[in-house]
Amino acid sequence: MTTHNQTPSGSPDPDAAQGMDIAARTQWQLVRARFFRHRAALLGMVLLAVVVLLAFTSIGIGPVPGWWDKSPTETGSLVNGGKPTLGLVPEFLGGAGLALGEHPFGQDNVGKDYFALTMRGTQVSLIIAFVVGIVATVVATVIGACAGYFRGWTETVLMRITDVLIAIPLLVIAAAAAKIAGQQGILFLGVVLGLVTWTQTARLVRSSVLSLREKEFVEAARSVGTSAVRIIFKHILPNTVGVIIVSVTLAIAAAVLLESALSFLGMGVQPPDTSLGRLITDYRSAMGTRPWLFYWPGLFIILIALSVNFIGDGLRDAFDPRQNRVRD
Amino acid sequence: MLVFIARRLVVSVFVLFVATFVMFVLSANTGDPLADLRELPADDRESAMAERIERMRLDLPVYARYFLWLGDALTGDFGVNRQGQDVNILLVDAVSATMQLVVAATVLAIVIGIAIGIISALRQYSGFDHAVTFGAFVAFSLPIFWVGVLLKQYGAIEFNNWLVQPSIPTLVIILGALLAGLAWSSLIVGDRRARLIAFAGASGITAVLLLWISLTEWFADPGLGPVVIALSAFGGAVGISALFSGLKLNRPMYAALAAAAIGTVLSFALAPVLADPSLGVILALAAATVIVCAGLGYGIGGVLHRRNAIAAAVWTGLFTGGVIFVDRMLQAFAGYSDSVQGRPISTIGASTPNYQGTFWELSLDSVGHLALPTMALILVSLATYTRYSRASMLEVMNQDYVRTARAKGLPERTVVTRHAFRNGLIPITTLAAYDFGTVIGGAVVTETVFGWRAMGDLLVTGLNEADPAPAMAFFVVTGGAIVVFNMIADIAYAYLDPRIRLS
Amino acid sequence: MTQSSNTPPHTEAAPEQAPTGGSSATDSTGETHTAETHTRDQAPTEEEVLRVEDLSVEFPTDDGRVKAVRNVSYSLREREVLSIVGESGSGKSVSSMAVMGLLPRSARISGRILYRGQDLLAMRQKELRSLRGRKISMIFQDPMTALNPVHTVGDQLAEAVLAHSLVPPAKARERAREMLDLVGIPQAAQRLRSYPHEFSGGMRQRVMIAMAIINDPDVIIADEPTTALDVTVQAQILEKLLEVKDAVNAAILLITHDLGVVAGLAHRVLVMYAGTPVEVGGTEDVFYRTRMPYTAGLLGSIPSMTSDHGEPLRPIRGTPPSLIDMPRGCPFSPRCPLADDTCRSVEPVLLPTDDQENEHLAACHHWERLAAADDPTAFFRNGGQY
Repeated sequence: MTTHNQTPSGSPDPDAAQGMDIAARTQWQLVRARFFRHRAALLGMVLLAVVVLLAFTSIGIGPVPGWWDKSPTETGSLVNGGKPTLGLVPEFLGGAGLALGEHPFGQDNVGKDYFALTMRGTQVSLIIAFVVGIVATVVATVIGACAGYFRGWTETVLMRITDVLIAIPLLVIAAAAAKIAGQQGILFLGVVLGLVTWTQTARLVRSSVLSLREKEFVEAARSVGTSAVRIIFKHILPNTVGVIIVSVTLAIAAAVLLESALSFLGMGVQPPDTSLGRLITDYRSAMGTRPWLFYWPGLFIILIALSVNFIGDGLRDAFDPRQNRVRD
Repeated sequence: MLVFIARRLVVSVFVLFVATFVMFVLSANTGDPLADLRELPADDRESAMAERIERMRLDLPVYARYFLWLGDALTGDFGVNRQGQDVNILLVDAVSATMQLVVAATVLAIVIGIAIGIISALRQYSGFDHAVTFGAFVAFSLPIFWVGVLLKQYGAIEFNNWLVQPSIPTLVIILGALLAGLAWSSLIVGDRRARLIAFAGASGITAVLLLWISLTEWFADPGLGPVVIALSAFGGAVGISALFSGLKLNRPMYAALAAAAIGTVLSFALAPVLADPSLGVILALAAATVIVCAGLGYGIGGVLHRRNAIAAAVWTGLFTGGVIFVDRMLQAFAGYSDSVQGRPISTIGASTPNYQGTFWELSLDSVGHLALPTMALILVSLATYTRYSRASMLEVMNQDYVRTARAKGLPERTVVTRHAFRNGLIPITTLAAYDFGTVIGGAVVTETVFGWRAMGDLLVTGLNEADPAPAMAFFVVTGGAIVVFNMIADIAYAYLDPRIRLS
Repeated sequence: MTQSSNTPPHTEAAPEQAPTGGSSATDSTGETHTAETHTRDQAPTEEEVLRVEDLSVEFPTDDGRVKAVRNVSYSLREREVLSIVGESGSGKSVSSMAVMGLLPRSARISGRILYRGQDLLAMRQKELRSLRGRKISMIFQDPMTALNPVHTVGDQLAEAVLAHSLVPPAKARERAREMLDLVGIPQAAQRLRSYPHEFSGGMRQRVMIAMAIINDPDVIIADEPTTALDVTVQAQILEKLLEVKDAVNAAILLITHDLGVVAGLAHRVLVMYAGTPVEVGGTEDVFYRTRMPYTAGLLGSIPSMTSDHGEPLRPIRGTPPSLIDMPRGCPFSPRCPLADDTCRSVEPVLLPTDDQENEHLAACHHWERLAAADDPTAFFRNGGQY
């Protein structure tokens, strides 16, 4: 039997897909199955877990001590010009062997252990990013759902507020907000940044709610006198959960970069505390002489943002399988 | 359609008004505007503080100051900063530098991003597609200032050092050749043999090219020369006419080849004019090219092929002109490089202060300063356009009307260029308007990294010193640019989609 | 899946005419009646234009291989109307897309598709393209999405001409205008400059018909051409389709799930289930001498004007099988009231039935039981419990 391979690509006929009669699975099982098939997303999960564990167990958090014996604040004498002692090339390949050494990421110019500093920066950046993601999502969901469900003047007012915020470039309004909030500590900074970054998600939630409110099951709930709040929370929002989860992930990835850019402009985290963006700013003039002070925090920003972006992509595919139904 | 755009414009301006209020209140509250004066000796302090309170009207509440500012701003006066400098004067220099950067980055990101996205979609699941997708994710995850610092180190400092003795290491040649081979073979549709041929061909050509560049130290005194100009012109003619009417010897192909031939000949004939032209001359030449080539296409195309022949000839003419333009600029490179002490790629500022030279040298000066900030700025936008146009194109290629076009028996080339491309662009126009705001935000960071005293500086200084006047000047100009860009996007949208045009 | 039923066949009536007779056995609504007259005026010749042999199509998906089409064979004669009937997912659309060469790249296709003796599956892309739209053309299900929204109707029609012949653009537009006239669009010359969204659904489907016949094709594949339309428009479109078929002397491959449509138009019917043909024969044979329980089930699912009031419909219980994990034996056996152990272990092949000279084939172990029954649809009474 010869097999032919026709070249023009197009959608598979709907008939093909409708014919697939898969054993009944709940939506969540399907989403989970599709997510775990997404290799990049799995890699992102593992990477993010490693980074989070490393950052919070190594130097500990608050009063809880970690397994790393140096703190980000203590200065010391410079060993070997502060070069990193981390060895990654095994001996049989002619390297110095796999070893952490005294200062795996090196030291800064006053002898602070750079591994401890980078871990502290990672903690701060992660905390801010997650707070931004959560605050932005909550605000976006409430505003988007109300605007989409109630229509009329509620919608007009809420969407005009959104338009005004969108008219200001995100970095600009975030810079102004962060300048005001930067003095008050990292949690407050996260909340304030969350309050200015919800606009795009709110629009997505609104358009999703707009189409859902016309659906029969919402009509049915309304016709038996269910209250608006209950309809929104029990009937509409559970159906927009895909949109919301995906955009919270992407918001977190964007927040990591936003925080670091603001710290770079001197408007985010204020000394003596530090963040990954702050570290790069503080040591960028050392690029020519001590490049590791510049590379390590950058690497961690990229690791966090990349893994969160991959997770977001995996979730999007899992919730919206339309795009990749047929494989080549 | 005019009503539609006018309505959008009115809403945008209204929104912008409210946004200026939000911005003003925020920027007036970013700190204590008198902080630096409180540390002065006691006898100076009082008078200095009184003077600044008077200048910034700190005796009035914020909203009153806003309306004072608004009244002045509506007459085109952006006030003075807290040192008493006229913000309008600061703005004039800043606007041209920033707009150069922002427009260059946006246009490049749109053109390159859409092209990569479409190729990626047409070769879905190829090695190229996977590489582009991965690259886009990395670009989304890169801190722009980090990339900026890297570019300064390697794109400028190390590159300028390398230019002293520009030979390419063998390893780089080999890697470059292999990479080119992989890229081309993943784009080829066909069996293993076709891919191998593509791989070998692309690797070989790239290796020879790099070796030649290295051995002749081409970068020390670059230029294309008449042979390369002619070859690119005719190659471009074949490629462009193939895009419009297929790879066969027909009238559009003749028209394109004729355009290429005329262009090549004129590159010699016009040598005196091209020695040191003005921008006006260049634009006039471009206009003449379009007119002559359109006439050429009209004449050669005949009744059957007129449309394609005109398009092929005009694009070929513009392409040939572009090649000649680049050649002229490259020829001026050695002289320019000498005049800036052998450091043509700059790390600081938007232009070399007080630089004098020919049109080509001045252009090179701009390019040398714009190159790295644009590269840093373009990354995120490029990734955005690539992802969106890929998704949009994949969606369109699955539409019923594309199937209809195929069912008519149209060649795949026509299906893509005439039926898929234009529909795929429609959602991108909305994206472009939104992305422009992101680019302006990114420009603030990039300008800081590269030490440009431009718009970003106004904002950062304004916020750091709790001084609304410069921050608001930044906001009004960029906000206005965003409104204008949105309007262009709306017009493009209406042009692309007849359903909008009529309603 | 909705069954539109503007032209219900008499499932209970005895056959009145021989299959090639001059007048109608199905006394349906006015439009289809006239339409049918056209069909019978232009009798098919013996010359075969299209022959499909052993066609199978598979799609690799995340969940496994979807066997969308299995071992489909049929032939289409000049000027003949052959109808392929089946539920969604029965493979009827996929098999016709294979004829057009429009399946996605990932499809694995085997078998032969012969157009006047040339195997389309063995052809180079370029040769296939020169047949597509010129000798074999297609009308799609949804006219709302089948036309490109950004080009005028005139451009899209003229393009079909220019794709296959070197004529001045003005000539192609003139041809487009003639075609719009032919399919009954008023003020054709002005309408050429309109965009698709300025047309109604029925008008757009007329444009699609004009596009399908603009190059005088031999075969028109109509894939559910009326499913997306209002009931009142459906009949007009079908009538127009038959009218233009005669104007250009084409054969039609009519794909539908609507048996009402088939009854009025088709010379022969091929019933598909789970990707494979289960009954083939002349329209009257299949309707009145049904030899496959699935066909009987389909006929029983249609409300009939003449059936006794109060008599319930007799739907087929259950859903079609998964095309990934096909049940052993006959694919219809889980839903079939006649199924026994043989049906559940051995898949029946298409074999000639009692009606040999009319090439009436069925894939059923128990076709004799249907032949013996007065009313085969009665097997589905009470949901198959009897």
